[in-house]
Amino acid sequence: VRFKDSLAEDLQSADLIISHAGAGSCLETLEKGKPLIVVINDKLMDNHQLELAKQLHRDGYVLYCNCSTLVETLQSMDLSTLKPFPPGQPEKFASFLDKVFGFQ
Amino acid sequence: TGGHTTEILRLLSCLSESYSPRHYVLADSDKMSEAKIRSFEQKRAETFSKSQFTLDRIPRSREVRQSWISSVLTTLYSILYSLPLTYKRKPDLILCNGPGTCVPICISAFLLGLLRIKRTIIVYVESICRVETLSLSGKILYYFSDYFIVQWPDLKKKYPKSVYLGRIV
Repeated sequence: VRFKDSLAEDLQSADLIISHAGAGSCLETLEKGKPLIVVINDKLMDNHQLELAKQLHRDGYVLYCNCSTLVETLQSMDLSTLKPFPPGQPEKFASFLDKVFGFQ
Repeated sequence: TGGHTTEILRLLSCLSESYSPRHYVLADSDKMSEAKIRSFEQKRAETFSKSQFTLDRIPRSREVRQSWISSVLTTLYSILYSLPLTYKRKPDLILCNGPGTCVPICISAFLLGLLRIKRTIIVYVESICRVETLSLSGKILYYFSDYFIVQWPDLKKKYPKSVYLGRIV
């Protein structure tokens, strides 16, 4: 098994990403504005990581399939249906905490 | 660990220097988070020269899929281990986002609060991975935290005492 410290370079130069449902992988890809197909491992159905992949799919940010339907998905996909992923807003968290402590 | 560290550093990214010094607590088995934290703090020191932080390690409270009974024992051990650390730091705020490591720290702070030694505000932010269900840490700390923040509306509905600010990482 090969490991890299960071996939950032590979993500940047790719046109399409096919990934497992790990949150880090999904978010890193979406933040780079790359189209993403998430492949679900049917044998890990209990895995809570599915929750995020399903929600991202419901919201129209990713395509979604399992190992056996991957080829069909690749053949029939329309990437233009994917919506751009808005970044998270840590500034809202900072404002919230500032209010809790009375900082301006 | 891993994803939790990335998320918590993003949460810290917009905080002012009022939130200083920062005391990071890691599991003793965590090899990768220290580098991420040092890198974050190094960048921060470029903007805020008086920026301060510390790093402590505690025994990991629970391994993935560890049995219930042994988890209770290892968590109790971690709570006892955390008490002197929390007593020494006496934090005004504990910010955590779900790794098992945070439960003993929060419980130790809660106990110090009951004993009137130090009142710490506990803010828990559930991971962005949690859309429909809470993590085990979340289920426990929902009752011990002062503010419990969720990042998806379904969880706000299920846990009405939680705070929903949208996606914050």
